Amino acid sequence: MDIKDIGKDLDRLVKIDPKELIPLPHPYDDPSFEPPIRELSDEQKMRYEASLDGIVAIGIQRPKTRQEEETLIGRFLSGLEKLLSPENNWTFLQPLYHSLEYCVKCQLCNDSCPAYIASGKKEIYRPTYRPEILRRIINKYIKKRSGLVLKLTNSDIELNWQLIARLGELAYRCTLCRRCAQTCPLGVDNALISHEIRKIFSQEMGIAPKELHESGTMQQMKTGSSTGITPKAFANIIEFMEEELEEKTGKSIKIPVDREGAEILLIHNAGEFMSWPENTMAFAIIFDAAGIDWTLSSDLAGYDAVNYGVWYDDIQLARIARRHAEIAKALKVKKINVGECGHAHKAMIVIADRVLTGDLNIPRESALPILADIVLNERIKLDPSRNNFHVTLHDPCNMVRLMGIVEPQRKILKKICPQFREMEPHGVENYCCGGGSGFAIMQSMNFPDWRNAVSGRIKLKQILEVFSDIISPDIKKYVCAPCSNCKGQIRDIFNYYHVFERCNILYGGLVELIVNAMEDMKQPFIEWEWR
Amino acid sequence: MAKATLGNMEIEIDEDGFIQEPEKWNQAIAEDLAKLEQAYPMTEEHWKVVNYLRDYYLKYEIAPPIRMLVKQTGFDLKKIYQLFPSGPAKGACKIAGLPKPTGCV
Repeated sequence: MDIKDIGKDLDRLVKIDPKELIPLPHPYDDPSFEPPIRELSDEQKMRYEASLDGIVAIGIQRPKTRQEEETLIGRFLSGLEKLLSPENNWTFLQPLYHSLEYCVKCQLCNDSCPAYIASGKKEIYRPTYRPEILRRIINKYIKKRSGLVLKLTNSDIELNWQLIARLGELAYRCTLCRRCAQTCPLGVDNALISHEIRKIFSQEMGIAPKELHESGTMQQMKTGSSTGITPKAFANIIEFMEEELEEKTGKSIKIPVDREGAEILLIHNAGEFMSWPENTMAFAIIFDAAGIDWTLSSDLAGYDAVNYGVWYDDIQLARIARRHAEIAKALKVKKINVGECGHAHKAMIVIADRVLTGDLNIPRESALPILADIVLNERIKLDPSRNNFHVTLHDPCNMVRLMGIVEPQRKILKKICPQFREMEPHGVENYCCGGGSGFAIMQSMNFPDWRNAVSGRIKLKQILEVFSDIISPDIKKYVCAPCSNCKGQIRDIFNYYHVFERCNILYGGLVELIVNAMEDMKQPFIEWEWR
Repeated sequence: MAKATLGNMEIEIDEDGFIQEPEKWNQAIAEDLAKLEQAYPMTEEHWKVVNYLRDYYLKYEIAPPIRMLVKQTGFDLKKIYQLFPSGPAKGACKIAGLPKPTGCV
């Protein structure tokens, strides 16, 4: 497929045939078990732009008139112009410019992309495909290069609404894992280009996946959390967790909330409270046992570390980052620690540095090094033999590749899990779970099929491979994924392929394993059942 | 937004069949939704889950954490999946007229 094909008048450019996806190992080596990728209904096809690959991630409403199309094309172009100006894009212009100008098209990055490889090398998912489209649009419509030059360099492109709609969807076929950027000898970041395209759509055209914007950042600013947890519901959930803690540990453990002047403000991804409260409970047990001076916040958005803006919209990103810092400042804590949530690490600890100035620039750190300190320095009593099952580790891209937090979680597992084994590749070479950049929470229409079967495929392959000699359901196995988003994605892939039933592989966080190994726990903390 | 006829009433639903006007919810609508989610006929046990979700939602404007649902109804997750094959969120919450779960859940 040629770059120019992106604007072709076709119902769909590419069809994903499950049989063309790369094969999975045993017990999934029979491709007839591969679930079909659902087709959209005729009504959905009429309503939404789905002409890229028949999958809908964003849910772009199809314009009703030519006039509407023209308006959107105009907004795309003016947005693109803004993207290239320092006044409007001071956050990311420098790496964007570098990535647009310095790619020598060596294609070395291609084989590093999990979605491209898993798809059976579908051209549209090639990490250099979408940047090249953007580059050509910039050359022709922004820099106004002459037609003759474009023809001679074979870099012409014809802009139409269909092309723009497809480019928007295509920006949501990349999980922003940045494995391509790591591979590039020149440091070109093709994931950043996906991110910048998403920004034009959201900030200039008012188009973003509902889960990220309307029920994501907008809901977080209004009710306090993208899950919809209000401060009142939060108080109820904390009360429930304290009861649970007492039942589980036999001790009355108070969860500190809004304690002024604490050393640490711990902020979890609020999805943990809803779907994996054992994670937030485990933090409470460990911090209590180790005598950590900490608190949670019940302030609006103070109990939800998520910042979906980091995936699609700088303005939303800045609003939420400020909110988090203001809460920490009002509580007079020494620092913020982020729980097991990868994108919150990126948003709050790394990117927020560009928007938090003066006294809002409060120290912000990962919780993983504190946990490593507690475990390695034996600040709590541990009996590793309690973790009597096989364990492997998934590396969340934002913590590991982006931030270089590689060792704390490994040192912990090596100490407390006698049957720990590494999947290959791991560390900064890891593969994304396939749910990065918001995919794990994008649940609408047939997008989950795509992320389970395509973007998450290499991760499933890695997990099956690392346990290949003990794949029998008689043997207990655990994938440790210290990130809510990764956990949600791994849960969904496992459901899609019935991995828990067929292979007895459970998934969960890191702190649960620590508590499971604590000597004074009366009963195993990890309940070996599907959740 | 699509419309569907549920409980002899025209009602707005989203792409995944969650009703958009939670205040219009009633038992007849729940039963029609249950038909779509393979949870019909609804037994006393179905209603126990649905009513608990509904009451929690009216009080806190959100679904309860799954663990809380399990504890308060006395049904384990396996049992909940038996009652609602599409699960607590996409099955039980939908039938109880709650909005689609959002965020990293």
